[in-house]
Amino acid sequence: MADKLATLGFRSFLSHQFLKRSVAAVSCRYANTLSNETVEKHRTSTLAHDKEQKEEKKISAPAPPGLKHVHPEFLPNPTFYRRDRIKEKLERQDMYRRRAVCPIPEFYVGSIMAVTLADPYASGKTNRFVGICIQRASYGLRANFTLRNVVDNQGLEIRYDMYSPLIQKVEVLRLEKRLDDELFYLRDAPAEFSTVPFNLEAVSHPPGAPVPVNTTKVKLGPRPWHERWERRNLRGVQDLGLPEKFYEKAKKVAKPWEEYDLMLKYRTSINPQETDEVMDEVAEGFREIERKRRREKLEKS
Amino acid sequence: MLRFGIRNRPRRLSKAMGRKEDGHGTGPPGRLERMTIIVNSLVRHERIEGSHQYMDEARGYTERLLQIAAQGDKNHEAMDVANYWLKDKDLIHKLFKVLVPRYENYTTCATRMWTLPVEYPGGKNKTSILELKGNPWPPVVPNPRNNSKSLINVLLHNAKKDYRSASKDGTPV
Repeated sequence: MADKLATLGFRSFLSHQFLKRSVAAVSCRYANTLSNETVEKHRTSTLAHDKEQKEEKKISAPAPPGLKHVHPEFLPNPTFYRRDRIKEKLERQDMYRRRAVCPIPEFYVGSIMAVTLADPYASGKTNRFVGICIQRASYGLRANFTLRNVVDNQGLEIRYDMYSPLIQKVEVLRLEKRLDDELFYLRDAPAEFSTVPFNLEAVSHPPGAPVPVNTTKVKLGPRPWHERWERRNLRGVQDLGLPEKFYEKAKKVAKPWEEYDLMLKYRTSINPQETDEVMDEVAEGFREIERKRRREKLEKS
Repeated sequence: MLRFGIRNRPRRLSKAMGRKEDGHGTGPPGRLERMTIIVNSLVRHERIEGSHQYMDEARGYTERLLQIAAQGDKNHEAMDVANYWLKDKDLIHKLFKVLVPRYENYTTCATRMWTLPVEYPGGKNKTSILELKGNPWPPVVPNPRNNSKSLINVLLHNAKKDYRSASKDGTPV
């Protein structure tokens, strides 16, 4: 393009590299790409002169049934224009490689965790933060979780990228679940509900045992709040004690039919068949990490 | 996983619902209400005719309903979904006892759609037929012509045979 402009007599300030970069930065939604189905069809077509040989599946055993709840970040983003099967697979491989170096234990929203992060400005070059996990979000390599704690009467929340190379160690001090998927309402609750001492001793969880559910019902402080919690169908909160008009309005804006909108659910989630495929691969990836670790141990000894 | 192509976004179908007083209500809840009626009548009659966009939308819901119902009538989710989507309760029995066993071994989808011809002068909306496969009605396209003996088809058939036998031997085609 820069050459073309030059031939037309325009002085170009754009380098070739810049143009390349700017093109590569275009989202896959707008890029001039082929759909996965089309590419797959041509790859496996008998008429293609370089027909792709089908790779045999190396999966030795299917994944345990609950694995998608333990590691939800391995499931791809269900938004259709964000999907790219090759990118997803490459990201998963990077995730196994990261987990082989820095193990991330099983945890859920509501678990109490400690994260040690590399920090050049901290004494000892690392920073350890303890808190209750209030959210797990995003997909693939961008997966993250948020820890909350109250230090010196100041609420603190830190969002960690799970696969960030800065993370040195992730510990789970109390492995437990809460009644809700997100605990943002702790922001509007008294400090005692989100205060965790930094010297909390870890309680080990016996492998294979069911994860306990913490049924604490939080008593929220008075309004104003960060959100209209009466509209959120929260289970881990005591009676909010609001006037009747708040609940009437909440009922008015609720969308109870969405529970039965089968196609909405289908479009906004990864279907069971594909979930199983991904999770089988993930189980195999974890087994591979375990094998590698054992091999290294043997070599050392 | 659905076995036919679906649109990435749902059709809104908002205008044809009518107000809550004399219709099914506007917006998403009204749309879903309308869909339940179409699915209900499809499960009862096994072949229905209507506006293409409504039939196409209802097709996905029917397929999903059948797939979820395949988990069996002991499954809580399956029963809950069937209870919402089938307003006539005798159809719940038909769904679990007749339709689920019928499509158990299908490798294709359970529904079929046909676009009906436009009658002169025609409007902008197409009319379609939506049917469940394996229904008791006579076929939509009656007595399809047998073209297998026409010259071109005979030649093509033999060419295919040659191609297959050649590729089995491993000789390049």
